[in-house]
Amino acid sequence: MKPPPFEYRSAHDSTETVELLTEYGDDAKILAGGQSLVPLMNFRMARPSVLIDINQTQDMTGIREDDGHLVIGAMARQRVLERDPTAGVAVPLLPAALAHTGHTTNRNRGTFGGSLAHADPAAELPALLVAMGGELTVKGPSGTRIVPAEDFFLAPLTTTLAYNEILVSARLPRLPSGTGTAVEELARRHGDFAIVSVMAAVHLDSNGRADLVRLAAGGVDSTPIRLHEAESVLSGGTLDETSIDAAATAAADASHPVDDVHGTASYRRDMVRVLVARAIRSAIANR
Amino acid sequence: MTTTAEPQETKYTGKSQQRIEDPRLLTGHGTYIDDITVPRMIEGAVLRSPVAHARITRIDVSKAAELPGVFAVITGNDLVEFAGEQPVIWSVIPEQRIARAHALATDTVRWVGQGVAAVAAVDRYVAEDALELIEVDYEPLPVVADLEQALAPDAPKLYEDWPDNISGSMTFPAGDADAAFAEADVVVGASFRHHAGYGCSIETRGCIANWDVFAGKLDMWLGTQAPNLARDLLAQVLSLPVDKIRVRTPDLGGGFGLKFDFYPDEIIAAILSRRTKRPVKLLEDRQESFVSSSRARDMRHDFEMALRSDGTIIGLRGTAYAVLGGALGTVGSGPPWASVLACMGPYKIPNQELTLKAVMTNRSPYGSYRGWGMPKANIVHERLIEFAARKLGMSRIDLRRMNFPTPEEFPYFSGAAFTYDSGRYADCLDLATSAVNERGWNVRQREGREAGRSIGIGYGFHTEVGAFGPSRVLNMVGLDHSGFDEVRIRMDSTGKVTVLSGQSAMGQGTHTTYAQLAADGLGVPIEDVTIVTGDTESCPYTGYGTGGSRAATLGGAAIVNASGRLKSKILRIGAELLEANPDDLEISDGRVSVRGAADASVSTADIGYSAYRMLNGRLPESETPTLEEIDVFDPANMTTSYGCTALLVEVDRQTGAVTLLDCLQAHDAGVIINPLLADGQLAGGLAQAFGGGLFEEFVYDEDGQINTASFMDYLLPSATDIPPFHFYHQETPAPHIPGGMKGLGEAGTIAGVSVVASAIDDALSDLGVAVTEFPMTPPRLLELIRAAQSAGVTA
Repeated sequence: MKPPPFEYRSAHDSTETVELLTEYGDDAKILAGGQSLVPLMNFRMARPSVLIDINQTQDMTGIREDDGHLVIGAMARQRVLERDPTAGVAVPLLPAALAHTGHTTNRNRGTFGGSLAHADPAAELPALLVAMGGELTVKGPSGTRIVPAEDFFLAPLTTTLAYNEILVSARLPRLPSGTGTAVEELARRHGDFAIVSVMAAVHLDSNGRADLVRLAAGGVDSTPIRLHEAESVLSGGTLDETSIDAAATAAADASHPVDDVHGTASYRRDMVRVLVARAIRSAIANR
Repeated sequence: MTTTAEPQETKYTGKSQQRIEDPRLLTGHGTYIDDITVPRMIEGAVLRSPVAHARITRIDVSKAAELPGVFAVITGNDLVEFAGEQPVIWSVIPEQRIARAHALATDTVRWVGQGVAAVAAVDRYVAEDALELIEVDYEPLPVVADLEQALAPDAPKLYEDWPDNISGSMTFPAGDADAAFAEADVVVGASFRHHAGYGCSIETRGCIANWDVFAGKLDMWLGTQAPNLARDLLAQVLSLPVDKIRVRTPDLGGGFGLKFDFYPDEIIAAILSRRTKRPVKLLEDRQESFVSSSRARDMRHDFEMALRSDGTIIGLRGTAYAVLGGALGTVGSGPPWASVLACMGPYKIPNQELTLKAVMTNRSPYGSYRGWGMPKANIVHERLIEFAARKLGMSRIDLRRMNFPTPEEFPYFSGAAFTYDSGRYADCLDLATSAVNERGWNVRQREGREAGRSIGIGYGFHTEVGAFGPSRVLNMVGLDHSGFDEVRIRMDSTGKVTVLSGQSAMGQGTHTTYAQLAADGLGVPIEDVTIVTGDTESCPYTGYGTGGSRAATLGGAAIVNASGRLKSKILRIGAELLEANPDDLEISDGRVSVRGAADASVSTADIGYSAYRMLNGRLPESETPTLEEIDVFDPANMTTSYGCTALLVEVDRQTGAVTLLDCLQAHDAGVIINPLLADGQLAGGLAQAFGGGLFEEFVYDEDGQINTASFMDYLLPSATDIPPFHFYHQETPAPHIPGGMKGLGEAGTIAGVSVVASAIDDALSDLGVAVTEFPMTPPRLLELIRAAQSAGVTA
């Protein structure tokens, strides 16, 4: 479990990172928190010939509010984000989801952007971005572009990032006050990748009808998925057991999981149904 | 005969005492195998087969050998020049076909992970780079991926010259099982499956071999539980005299039986050292550990129990299938054999017919893991007795109690092999059930159920055979090794004490418990006692190693014996110095004094001075100089400890997930040397068992590939998965062991698997779910729940 030889470069900022990526092409990999990349290199499953360390950069950090949005720098450590009071108020899903992301020691080192760029379909942060309809800011040689979360993730461990682009930050819309949120996750042990995770946010208008519903699931497709059909079932209506069941069924129908050692595809689909219903109920209760 | 403990005046024994190892280990000052660097040392790595069954048609190491930094590359053909086949010390089945393999494959690979070639290089990085440059052509052979395939009539064979894939088979009869089943009022049976896992120590295995051909010596650092056994087996495989081999054991980061076994890596490192004329460090990494360390637990037990309508058990019969690997490991089919011998557990069953079938598959070799077969024996008797209670409509507690031997019936022969020395089983059962009541579990269960939660209480009663074992008996049943333990105890010229033992300390606190026994045995402060283990050149021979719950029972007994004799000599010298009669003397806190006249006393330092330096006028003429005693203790019988475990769980009926809420165990291991460490042993064992019960599994595909070769997929339980533990002790001393100790190192692993099933069944009692497979993962349990629900609907 020792990596093959590689060259090490340390970038000073995002601009230099993009230059180095352009120079080395596909042979280069960015080292942020290293919580996924380093094990993969030790297994010799990832074999970058150049490692570009961005831990010395200063221009991709920070967590701030901006015009009704929460803006999170890619290099924000997950543990910092988890404990950030602004972030917790603006997007209560964040600390709840991060509590499931590995263990504290992983989150001390692991970065917000690293988890998104790694794009594990069972990871919490990608599912959260998709649920919230977040936007990712990507920097390349010709400047920055904005990518909606649902377009960012393409396949397991694959995003729209070009070889010479880097994720610098992401924006999440601030949830209106009174929004109930919930994270339901089924994992074999606390801190494991989810068998299924579900993120939910629900806001009811003064008549008790849902005027905001956000649902996404992780671990049930090649990317995290926004559960649009389930959201439609609930939107504009009062949330009772019938509509919650219908939404859960719609969510299960929308998932396309695969078998692995921790559960078959059909088990995962069944769990989407169970967890979506639970997440909606707890989101309502958490308002 | 069963007696209760007589209270004895001891200063240390029986009292909780922090480990004397702790300051060093907890501050990071331990020395583990990877902390050791010897001069001129290089590092090795092993190329392991990526396929489960194939003929090797070509190996080309030339590119690897040319890589800068590489010192040597060897294949199986290079190795056989100096090394014989890997040893198998347990041959338990008469006429058994013993499939042996060399440390590196020579022509055929029979499991994923079997060593094919090895490299020694300047460091591990370069060694692994070199492995990638070795070219091997494999001609695939049909794969026998699991037990059912191996037993199929048209199964491909692992060994062409065998009639089938069965290594051996034997039956243990007692009474007349057929008659018992014919006349039984109730018969319950099931097929129990415990999937494969391993005794995962957080420190992986490793060694440093230094084969100095000029001195003719092999000097080895080895992370092992059995240094003397390792030395004998190195000698056997490498055709070296034992006196030319030294095995030293550094601190061990856990052993769990896995480090009892003797591995190909030891031989590979030795050959690489011989080839390079340098010391070679060869460490197993975590990824390879899943295929290169002993696989364990992997068995199926098809068993049934016959009872009378009043609940009396009259018969037990069945077949146990051992899922062996592509070759036999060090202990052969020993653990599966023990699972059969122990499968009647604590119950009196007059008629038995117990069959063991040892079956070869294309999996890695089967070997030792804490519990050594007994966890599966426990599954058989504890699951069946609960199924019987259900069928009879009896209390599962009462049914257990009525089938125990009474205290007066000991020593009790269990029918197949073991004679239980002593026990108060019913008392222990009552201790557990009253603790369950005290802790309010029944209330928690009732209230939980009223709130719609599925709360269950599980019970399990276990027996643990320890003090392995009388040497001649072990030889008779097929062990090519012995079972005694030797201890050397010495008081030096300053009156301080050194105890040398062949046992290994792997985290269980052996040095502390030995110091407690020696301090009490000699009447000296515990600070005056030093324990030395882990060097075959200075430490005594232990017949087996640290395993079989032997350290406290046999090593401890030897310390009791040796310190008793040494104390007599100390008192005789003290009598000379004090001009008193030795019979009137006592020794306490390191001072020898006339009983009742404490002002007339001498210190152990005075005694030491008299025995080593100033003999004239101080050492009695009749005494030899020095203060040293050796004791070799070979027990007349094994010990049988026992306990009753209870577990509170909650089941999520929608997901199949199980949460462990609380756990307690009433336990009797005879005299407890250190309650703190005893509880630690019990808790650690239970945690491992919950791993086997719910989490840990080697998952294989149809090609014999393992799909769980990292900690991401092989799920060790972590702190958040383990319930609080509460322990209750009763002490029924082993009548035949000086000190009265019984084994307890394996209690938790034996007791903890079946009790998970019992608790789940109880949580789902309205559905009639019966758990028979381990680990019981959420998908598996959800399937059982749904099957029970639909059966309930159709019924």
